[in-house]
Amino acid sequence: MVLLETSQEWQTQTSRLLQARPTTTRITTKYNIPNLESERYEKKLNKKRKRDDEKEADAPKVPLATLELKTYDPESGVVLKFKTNRAAEVGRLITSLGTLGRYMAALPVKEEAQDVAMEDAEPAVDETKDTTPAAPSTNDAKPQQGGGGGGNKKKKKGKK
Amino acid sequence: MSKALSQDEFFTQLATLLEKTQQKGHGSVFLTQKRLSHDTSAKSPPPGTKVADDPLWDLNPPNPLPILIRATDGDSQSKDKVKNKNKVKLSTVVQPDDIEAFFARYAEVCKAGMQSLKKRDRSKRKKDKSKKKKTGDEKK
Repeated sequence: MVLLETSQEWQTQTSRLLQARPTTTRITTKYNIPNLESERYEKKLNKKRKRDDEKEADAPKVPLATLELKTYDPESGVVLKFKTNRAAEVGRLITSLGTLGRYMAALPVKEEAQDVAMEDAEPAVDETKDTTPAAPSTNDAKPQQGGGGGGNKKKKKGKK
Repeated sequence: MSKALSQDEFFTQLATLLEKTQQKGHGSVFLTQKRLSHDTSAKSPPPGTKVADDPLWDLNPPNPLPILIRATDGDSQSKDKVKNKNKVKLSTVVQPDDIEAFFARYAEVCKAGMQSLKKRDRSKRKKDKSKKKKTGDEKK
Protein backbone atom coordinates (compact mmCIF):
# COMPACT_ATOMS: atom_id res chain seq x y z
CA MET A 1 0.00 0.00 0.00
CA VAL A 2 1.15 3.48 -0.80
CA LEU A 3 -0.08 6.50 1.13
CA LEU A 4 0.47 9.58 -0.98
CA GLU A 5 1.15 13.02 0.44
CA THR A 6 -0.79 15.21 -1.94
CA SER A 7 -4.03 14.80 -3.84
CA GLN A 8 -2.23 15.82 -7.00
CA GLU A 9 0.23 12.97 -6.62
CA TRP A 10 -2.58 10.55 -5.91
CA GLN A 11 -4.32 11.66 -9.06
CA THR A 12 -1.28 11.24 -11.31
CA GLN A 13 -0.44 7.81 -9.91
CA THR A 14 -4.06 6.70 -10.21
CA SER A 15 -4.28 7.90 -13.79
CA ARG A 16 -1.20 5.83 -14.60
CA LEU A 17 -2.71 2.77 -13.01
CA LEU A 18 -5.95 3.35 -14.85
CA GLN A 19 -4.15 3.64 -18.14
CA ALA A 20 -2.50 0.29 -17.53
CA ARG A 21 -5.54 -1.50 -16.09
CA PRO A 22 -8.68 0.39 -16.99
CA THR A 23 -11.12 -2.47 -16.47
CA THR A 24 -10.15 -3.88 -13.11
CA THR A 25 -9.09 -0.74 -11.24
CA ARG A 26 -11.64 0.82 -8.93
CA ILE A 27 -11.66 3.96 -6.83
CA THR A 28 -13.32 4.00 -3.43
CA THR A 29 -13.99 7.19 -1.53
CA LYS A 30 -14.60 6.72 2.17
CA TYR A 31 -16.16 9.46 4.25
CA ASN A 32 -15.84 8.56 7.90
CA ILE A 33 -17.08 10.23 11.06
CA PRO A 34 -15.43 8.44 13.97
CA ASN A 35 -17.48 7.23 16.90
CA LEU A 36 -16.53 9.28 19.94
CA GLU A 37 -17.46 6.49 22.32
CA SER A 38 -15.43 3.79 20.62
CA GLU A 39 -12.26 2.65 22.36
CA ARG A 40 -10.24 2.93 19.23
CA TYR A 41 -10.88 6.63 18.89
CA GLU A 42 -10.06 7.31 22.52
CA LYS A 43 -6.75 5.49 22.22
CA LYS A 44 -5.92 7.57 19.20
CA LEU A 45 -6.72 10.77 21.05
CA ASN A 46 -4.68 9.76 24.07
CA LYS A 47 -1.71 8.99 21.88
CA LYS A 48 -1.97 12.41 20.30
CA ARG A 49 -2.19 14.08 23.67
CA LYS A 50 0.92 12.33 24.86
CA ARG A 51 2.82 13.37 21.77
CA ASP A 52 2.05 17.07 21.88
CA ASP A 53 0.57 17.88 25.26
CA GLU A 54 -0.34 21.51 25.12
CA LYS A 55 -1.82 21.60 21.66
CA GLU A 56 -4.26 18.74 21.99
CA ALA A 57 -5.08 19.01 25.66
CA ASP A 58 -7.77 21.59 25.16
CA ALA A 59 -9.04 20.05 21.94
CA PRO A 60 -12.82 19.97 21.87
CA LYS A 61 -14.57 16.62 21.82
CA VAL A 62 -15.83 16.89 18.29
CA PRO A 63 -15.41 13.99 15.91
CA LEU A 64 -12.92 14.85 13.20
CA ALA A 65 -14.18 13.32 10.02
CA THR A 66 -11.83 12.07 7.34
CA LEU A 67 -12.10 11.58 3.63
CA GLU A 68 -10.02 8.80 2.16
CA LEU A 69 -9.47 8.08 -1.50
CA LYS A 70 -8.33 4.61 -2.37
CA THR A 71 -7.44 3.16 -5.74
CA TYR A 72 -7.30 -0.60 -5.91
CA ASP A 73 -6.50 -2.95 -8.72
CA PRO A 74 -7.24 -6.54 -7.69
CA GLU A 75 -5.29 -7.98 -10.58
CA SER A 76 -1.93 -6.47 -9.68
CA GLY A 77 -2.75 -5.79 -6.04
CA VAL A 78 -1.81 -2.12 -6.22
CA VAL A 79 -3.30 0.19 -3.60
CA LEU A 80 -2.92 3.95 -3.71
CA LYS A 81 -4.32 6.01 -0.86
CA PHE A 82 -4.80 9.63 -0.01
CA LYS A 83 -6.31 10.98 3.19
CA THR A 84 -7.55 14.40 4.14
CA ASN A 85 -9.76 16.08 6.72
CA ARG A 86 -10.20 19.41 4.99
CA ALA A 87 -13.62 20.36 3.69
CA ALA A 88 -12.04 22.76 1.21
CA GLU A 89 -10.61 19.84 -0.73
CA VAL A 90 -13.85 17.95 -1.36
CA GLY A 91 -14.78 19.83 -4.52
CA ARG A 92 -11.36 19.47 -6.05
CA LEU A 93 -11.17 15.77 -5.21
CA ILE A 94 -14.52 14.96 -6.78
CA THR A 95 -13.48 16.87 -9.88
CA SER A 96 -10.37 14.74 -10.07
CA LEU A 97 -12.59 11.66 -9.72
CA GLY A 98 -14.39 12.94 -12.80
CA THR A 99 -11.15 13.35 -14.70
CA LEU A 100 -10.18 9.82 -13.72
CA GLY A 101 -13.63 8.64 -14.73
CA ARG A 102 -12.75 9.62 -18.27
CA TYR A 103 -9.93 7.07 -18.24
CA MET A 104 -12.37 4.43 -17.03
CA ALA A 105 -14.83 5.28 -19.77
CA ALA A 106 -12.01 5.17 -22.33
CA LEU A 107 -12.72 8.73 -23.40
CA PRO A 108 -9.96 10.88 -24.87
CA VAL A 109 -8.20 12.85 -22.16
CA LYS A 110 -8.68 16.58 -22.23
CA GLU A 111 -5.75 17.86 -20.30
CA GLU A 112 -5.59 21.18 -22.01
CA ALA A 113 -9.21 21.93 -21.28
CA GLN A 114 -8.33 22.47 -17.64
CA ASP A 115 -6.08 25.39 -18.40
CA VAL A 116 -8.39 27.05 -20.88
CA ALA A 117 -11.08 29.46 -19.77
CA MET A 118 -14.66 28.25 -19.76
CA GLU A 119 -15.65 30.14 -22.92
CA ASP A 120 -13.08 28.19 -24.86
CA ALA A 121 -14.00 24.89 -23.28
CA GLU A 122 -17.67 25.01 -24.13
CA PRO A 123 -17.44 24.63 -27.89
CA ALA A 124 -15.14 21.68 -27.36
CA VAL A 125 -17.83 19.93 -25.31
CA ASP A 126 -20.40 20.55 -28.02
CA GLU A 127 -18.14 19.03 -30.59
CA THR A 128 -17.74 15.77 -28.72
CA LYS A 129 -21.49 15.62 -28.23
CA ASP A 130 -22.00 16.00 -31.96
CA THR A 131 -19.72 13.14 -32.82
CA THR A 132 -20.85 10.61 -30.24
CA PRO A 133 -24.42 9.87 -31.43
CA ALA A 134 -23.00 8.42 -34.61
CA ALA A 135 -20.49 6.34 -32.70
CA PRO A 136 -22.35 3.19 -31.62
CA SER A 137 -23.47 2.21 -35.11
CA THR A 138 -20.11 2.28 -36.85
CA ASN A 139 -16.79 0.73 -36.09
CA ASP A 140 -14.75 3.78 -37.01
CA ALA A 141 -16.10 5.62 -33.97
CA LYS A 142 -12.68 5.68 -32.40
CA PRO A 143 -10.77 7.31 -35.25
CA GLN A 144 -13.62 9.78 -35.62
CA GLN A 145 -13.41 10.77 -32.01
CA GLY A 146 -9.69 10.79 -32.03
CA GLY A 147 -9.84 13.12 -34.99
CA GLY A 148 -12.26 15.34 -33.10
CA GLY A 149 -9.97 15.45 -30.08
CA GLY A 150 -7.01 16.24 -32.27
CA GLY A 151 -8.98 19.03 -33.85
CA ASN A 152 -9.66 20.51 -30.46
CA LYS A 153 -6.03 20.46 -29.53
CA LYS A 154 -5.00 22.08 -32.75
CA LYS A 155 -7.56 24.80 -32.32
CA LYS A 156 -6.42 25.61 -28.84
CA LYS A 157 -2.82 25.69 -29.87
CA GLY A 158 -3.73 28.03 -32.69
CA LYS A 159 -5.50 30.38 -30.30
CA LYS A 160 -2.49 30.59 -28.09
CA MET B 1 -27.70 -6.64 -6.05
CA SER B 2 -30.02 -3.72 -6.15
CA LYS B 3 -30.94 -2.27 -9.50
CA ALA B 4 -29.15 0.74 -10.89
CA LEU B 5 -30.94 3.98 -10.11
CA SER B 6 -31.46 6.97 -12.34
CA GLN B 7 -29.06 9.83 -11.69
CA ASP B 8 -31.70 11.98 -10.01
CA GLU B 9 -32.74 9.21 -7.67
CA PHE B 10 -29.15 8.32 -6.93
CA PHE B 11 -28.33 11.88 -5.89
CA THR B 12 -31.38 12.30 -3.67
CA GLN B 13 -30.71 9.00 -1.93
CA LEU B 14 -27.01 9.75 -1.58
CA ALA B 15 -27.88 13.08 0.02
CA THR B 16 -30.17 11.30 2.49
CA LEU B 17 -27.48 8.73 3.25
CA LEU B 18 -24.92 11.45 3.97
CA GLU B 19 -27.38 13.35 6.12
CA LYS B 20 -28.28 10.24 8.07
CA THR B 21 -24.62 9.59 8.84
CA GLN B 22 -24.20 13.20 9.86
CA GLN B 23 -27.11 13.08 12.27
CA LYS B 24 -26.03 9.77 13.73
CA GLY B 25 -22.75 11.45 14.63
CA HIS B 26 -20.52 8.61 13.49
CA GLY B 27 -20.23 6.11 10.68
CA SER B 28 -18.92 5.89 7.14
CA VAL B 29 -20.10 6.32 3.61
CA PHE B 30 -18.31 4.44 0.85
CA LEU B 31 -18.40 5.66 -2.73
CA THR B 32 -16.95 3.49 -5.46
CA GLN B 33 -16.46 4.02 -9.15
CA LYS B 34 -15.27 1.60 -11.79
CA ARG B 35 -15.62 0.81 -15.45
CA LEU B 36 -18.79 -1.06 -16.28
CA SER B 37 -17.25 -3.97 -18.13
CA HIS B 38 -20.24 -6.21 -18.64
CA ASP B 39 -22.93 -5.08 -21.02
CA THR B 40 -26.37 -4.53 -19.55
CA SER B 41 -28.20 -4.64 -22.86
CA ALA B 42 -28.20 -8.04 -24.50
CA LYS B 43 -28.25 -6.66 -28.04
CA SER B 44 -24.65 -5.73 -28.65
CA PRO B 45 -21.81 -8.11 -27.80
CA PRO B 46 -19.99 -7.22 -24.58
CA PRO B 47 -17.29 -4.68 -25.37
CA GLY B 48 -14.89 -5.99 -22.78
CA THR B 49 -14.57 -9.66 -23.59
CA LYS B 50 -11.29 -10.97 -22.40
CA VAL B 51 -8.98 -12.28 -25.08
CA ALA B 52 -6.75 -14.90 -23.60
CA ASP B 53 -3.66 -14.40 -25.73
CA ASP B 54 -3.71 -10.61 -25.55
CA PRO B 55 -2.88 -9.22 -22.11
CA LEU B 56 -3.64 -5.70 -23.30
CA TRP B 57 -7.13 -6.59 -24.47
CA ASP B 58 -8.84 -3.86 -22.49
CA LEU B 59 -6.60 -0.91 -23.31
CA ASN B 60 -8.26 0.25 -26.50
CA PRO B 61 -11.96 -0.57 -26.51
CA PRO B 62 -13.70 0.41 -29.76
CA ASN B 63 -16.31 2.50 -27.96
CA PRO B 64 -16.27 4.53 -24.74
CA LEU B 65 -17.71 2.53 -21.85
CA PRO B 66 -20.10 3.62 -19.13
CA ILE B 67 -18.89 3.77 -15.55
CA LEU B 68 -20.57 2.34 -12.50
CA ILE B 69 -20.97 4.38 -9.32
CA ARG B 70 -21.83 2.73 -6.04
CA ALA B 71 -22.60 4.13 -2.62
CA THR B 72 -23.05 2.24 0.63
CA ASP B 73 -23.03 2.84 4.37
CA GLY B 74 -20.73 -0.11 4.92
CA ASP B 75 -22.94 -1.63 7.62
CA SER B 76 -22.90 -5.14 6.27
CA GLN B 77 -22.82 -6.72 9.72
CA SER B 78 -24.27 -5.62 12.99
CA LYS B 79 -22.30 -6.13 16.18
CA ASP B 80 -23.47 -9.67 16.82
CA LYS B 81 -22.25 -10.82 13.40
CA VAL B 82 -25.74 -10.99 11.95
CA LYS B 83 -26.20 -9.84 8.41
CA ASN B 84 -27.68 -6.37 8.42
CA LYS B 85 -30.84 -6.25 6.38
CA ASN B 86 -31.01 -2.48 6.45
CA LYS B 87 -27.71 -1.96 4.70
CA VAL B 88 -27.97 0.93 2.26
CA LYS B 89 -26.74 0.14 -1.22
CA LEU B 90 -27.10 2.52 -4.13
CA SER B 91 -25.75 2.32 -7.61
CA THR B 92 -26.06 4.16 -10.88
CA VAL B 93 -24.57 3.89 -14.33
CA VAL B 94 -23.05 6.98 -15.94
CA GLN B 95 -22.85 7.05 -19.71
CA PRO B 96 -19.64 8.47 -21.20
CA ASP B 97 -21.46 11.56 -22.45
CA ASP B 98 -22.82 12.38 -19.02
CA ILE B 99 -19.60 12.14 -17.06
CA GLU B 100 -18.93 15.84 -16.74
CA ALA B 101 -22.48 16.75 -15.76
CA PHE B 102 -22.62 13.86 -13.31
CA PHE B 103 -19.43 14.74 -11.48
CA ALA B 104 -20.35 18.40 -11.25
CA ARG B 105 -23.52 17.40 -9.41
CA TYR B 106 -21.69 14.71 -7.47
CA ALA B 107 -19.28 17.32 -6.14
CA GLU B 108 -22.16 19.53 -5.00
CA VAL B 109 -23.90 16.69 -3.18
CA CYS B 110 -20.67 15.62 -1.47
CA LYS B 111 -19.72 19.15 -0.46
CA ALA B 112 -23.16 19.65 1.03
CA GLY B 113 -23.22 16.28 2.77
CA MET B 114 -19.74 16.04 4.25
CA GLN B 115 -20.15 18.61 6.98
CA SER B 116 -17.91 17.08 9.62
CA LEU B 117 -14.68 17.76 7.79
CA LYS B 118 -12.46 20.54 9.01
CA LYS B 119 -13.62 23.87 7.68
CA ARG B 120 -11.20 26.52 6.65
CA ASP B 121 -10.06 28.15 9.85
CA ARG B 122 -11.09 31.79 9.81
CA SER B 123 -11.99 32.06 13.47
CA LYS B 124 -8.59 33.36 14.57
CA ARG B 125 -8.62 36.33 12.26
CA LYS B 126 -12.18 37.18 13.17
CA LYS B 127 -11.37 37.10 16.86
CA ASP B 128 -8.43 39.43 16.36
CA LYS B 129 -10.56 41.85 14.42
CA SER B 130 -13.33 41.91 16.99
CA LYS B 131 -10.79 42.45 19.75
CA LYS B 132 -9.31 45.36 17.90
CA LYS B 133 -12.74 46.82 17.40
CA LYS B 134 -13.55 46.47 21.07
CA THR B 135 -10.34 48.13 22.17
CA GLY B 136 -10.98 50.88 19.66
CA ASP B 137 -14.42 51.47 21.11
CA GLU B 138 -13.08 51.61 24.63
CA LYS B 139 -10.59 54.28 23.68
CA LYS B 140 -13.37 56.41 22.31
